[in-house]
Amino acid sequence: MNELPIDEAFLQQVETLQTLLKHNAAGLFGGNHQSRTYGSSCEFADYRDYIPGDDIKRVDWNAFARFDRLYLKLYLDERQLHTRIYIDASKSMTYGNGKKDVQAIRIAATIAYLSVCEMDKVSIYAVVGGQTQEILSGLHGKDAYFASIGKLNELAFDGESRLSEALLPASVGYGDGLSVILSDFLTDENYEDGIDRLAERKRDILCVQILSKEELNPKLRGKMHLYDSENHARFYRKNINREVVRAYRLALEYATDRIRGFCASRGADYLLVSAEDSVHKIFFEKLTDMGVLK
Amino acid sequence: MSLLYPLGLLGLIAVPVLIVIYIIKNKYTEQIVPATYLWRLSERFLKRRNPVNRITGIISLVLQILAVVFLSFAVAHPVFTLPGAARDYCFILDGSGSMNLQSDGVSRLDAGKAEIRSRIGSAASGSSFTLVYTGSTTSVVYERTTDKEQALKLLDGVSPEYCATGFADALNAAQGYFDENPSVQTVLVTDKAYESGENVEIVNVSKGEINYSVAEADYAIAGGNLVVTGNAYSYVGNASLELALYLDDASEPVARTTVDATEGVAAPFELSCPYAEFSGLCVKLLAPDALALDNECRLYPLREESSLDTLIVSDTEFFFMQAALASFGNVSVEVVKPSEFRDQSGYGLYIFDSCMPSSLPRDGAVWFFNPDGNVENAGFTVQSDVESSVSLRLEYNQSTATRVVSLQKNLLKEEICVSRYVKCGLYRDFATVLFCENNPAVFAGSNVYGNREVVFAFDVHDSDLALRSDFVVLTRNLLDFTFPALVDASAYYCGDVMTVNVPANCESVRVDSPLGHSVYLETGSAVAEYELTEEGVYTVTVLSGNTERKVNVFSALPLSERIPYVAEQSFVLYGEAENAYRDGRYEDLLILFIVLAVIFIADWMVYCYEQYQLR
Repeated sequence: MNELPIDEAFLQQVETLQTLLKHNAAGLFGGNHQSRTYGSSCEFADYRDYIPGDDIKRVDWNAFARFDRLYLKLYLDERQLHTRIYIDASKSMTYGNGKKDVQAIRIAATIAYLSVCEMDKVSIYAVVGGQTQEILSGLHGKDAYFASIGKLNELAFDGESRLSEALLPASVGYGDGLSVILSDFLTDENYEDGIDRLAERKRDILCVQILSKEELNPKLRGKMHLYDSENHARFYRKNINREVVRAYRLALEYATDRIRGFCASRGADYLLVSAEDSVHKIFFEKLTDMGVLK
Repeated sequence: MSLLYPLGLLGLIAVPVLIVIYIIKNKYTEQIVPATYLWRLSERFLKRRNPVNRITGIISLVLQILAVVFLSFAVAHPVFTLPGAARDYCFILDGSGSMNLQSDGVSRLDAGKAEIRSRIGSAASGSSFTLVYTGSTTSVVYERTTDKEQALKLLDGVSPEYCATGFADALNAAQGYFDENPSVQTVLVTDKAYESGENVEIVNVSKGEINYSVAEADYAIAGGNLVVTGNAYSYVGNASLELALYLDDASEPVARTTVDATEGVAAPFELSCPYAEFSGLCVKLLAPDALALDNECRLYPLREESSLDTLIVSDTEFFFMQAALASFGNVSVEVVKPSEFRDQSGYGLYIFDSCMPSSLPRDGAVWFFNPDGNVENAGFTVQSDVESSVSLRLEYNQSTATRVVSLQKNLLKEEICVSRYVKCGLYRDFATVLFCENNPAVFAGSNVYGNREVVFAFDVHDSDLALRSDFVVLTRNLLDFTFPALVDASAYYCGDVMTVNVPANCESVRVDSPLGHSVYLETGSAVAEYELTEEGVYTVTVLSGNTERKVNVFSALPLSERIPYVAEQSFVLYGEAENAYRDGRYEDLLILFIVLAVIFIADWMVYCYEQYQLR
């Protein structure tokens, strides 16, 4: 695996970004994300009448002196979230000049860094076959990030990946942050159930479909016998001419529209990136434009 | 079936090559892709293809193989045998002058060629064709050729002729082919009406066209008038024929006359006009008819030398000869004695009487009387003097040779005696007019320098020749021989032989024919002959030193060829005819081969287009 092409200057830029969550943060105390519930942070939020049983330490005595009534002083609640990143580790991710696997790791590493900068916990999983394999679990803080992120280089991309089968039994948290799925989604296996599961668990979802240049604009011509890299039993035999290529493009459009539509119906974000796209472009243009980051 | 070029089948090697190319071309390239999901999904978006398109590739291969096979066979040129379809044809085409008669703008010869062309065209492939053409001579244009194209091309090259034609040679040739192959179909294409034709199919192209002609014209100068006489003919019915006389190619006639002509009978005419100097005259028949070639007669005056300067070298007065020459009017005579002769030059005629020069004059003709010695290159040698106590009678040469006859023309052949003569030996070609004791006594010819030479091997004073009336006539004939007109006559018929008198010191004699052909005649002898085969005006040009003399002669269509309808008796090929057909050939596969070649090319274009699409 190549070294991660993310330099320090880029990471400094990433630190300026912030994740925008759709769901109410329901993580642990002590994070950097404001919850819609009142909590114990230093940031004042509102007053309310005292109700017997309330902690008397939270009564605003100054207000009592002025209004002769007991008011309770409320503060914003800040939660620590848990970002979960799922990387499709199937064989199909290793193809293409731009190397989809490298792109997936770049994005995962960047999102992970962004999360640790926001004081969130980060877990990175590889989806291998019908299981999720934990690569980094509960990573917290920059020191831990830099100490552990290199493990991504050890990720082996091989075999198949069945997203739904992997996510359904897995612990995916509940309303406590962002779930990122990095995959080429080039499968007729069911991935909708996995995304549904994350949505049910009130997770913010970001699906990133990574395709190589060859997949976006195939150059194959002539009589071809194409084998599926993940399963050689699947093949496609055709005299590939302009007509077939035209049909392929329509099929690609159909497939991406399908994912995009499904994600939209589940409140998930969807982003199609090329393996050749720079990380800077993905984070500072595409994701920012989409409103996932600010 | 047989193959003309079996090596053409080597092209079949291309068939396995095509199959290999097809296999290579259709081999699927194996490749691993990340996922076949999208490719399989794309099947939904492919338009439903015509089932035929699925086998386009194999159809293409089949067409290519078929094309290669047929192209190979095209090169190999298969020839299919058609049993009993072909025949052998022998065409005899009459090329006589009468075949120039036209009907509706088409000559009989063209009609005959069209008939032959039609038969060749409709004959089965493999048939053989022989064409015998009887023009001025009989020639075999092609013999047993099976190449229709060549046969038709050579037939088109046959041009009309103007002479009378005899079919003897053609008959002999046809009989030869018939003897070799009794199944040969002989076709005689002619305008003669044959009563019967055994073993011959006679195609008569005559349509009984109307024809008139004018012939046998001559002229005379009488009473200050130019009088032209001749005969007019009407060959189909009686007719009133108008004739006109033109001088020197003038557009307006100088005289006209009309004669009533009875069918087939000569109708004499006479045209007269005041005499004026002319270079040629033409009598034209003004009635339109089917043959224009015989509607005019042309005559040209044959000019003689205007004056002859003669030098006589003699010890005596030589009165007889001077008197004879003076009687012709255009001869000026100068007499010198032998002692005064210093090889003078500039005379047309040198006469040496009883003396011999040291060398022959080169610029004129020479006459010797009683030669007393030898001179180099004279063509004769003096052997001895023969003197008799009795008179010796001279004998006239009985030869019918043209030159002898012309030298004896108009002679009464009176008895001539001599008392003494010189015995001469001849080593050149001389024509002897008179013999004395079987020795040449008067003879004429030419010397080594080409100058004409006349020798009297006796002294005129020792004979009674000068007392005979034949003396002047003989002198005239000898003078005509010495200074001949270029041609003997100005009017001939096609097929006649024109005689050209080659003058002394002649460098060339050229004959230009009416159709523009030029021929140079042999000038080595005193007379050159040329056969006139074209109708029209021939021009004879003689070049002597810086002097060029021209004379025109008119060659007319023979009278026998002017008659539109001539009945002949029979044209018979002897022998038992057979009607056997032989195997024909069918080789008109060219169109099929062209179609296949087009398919082959189109197929490759489609293939290339597909390759272009795949780029």
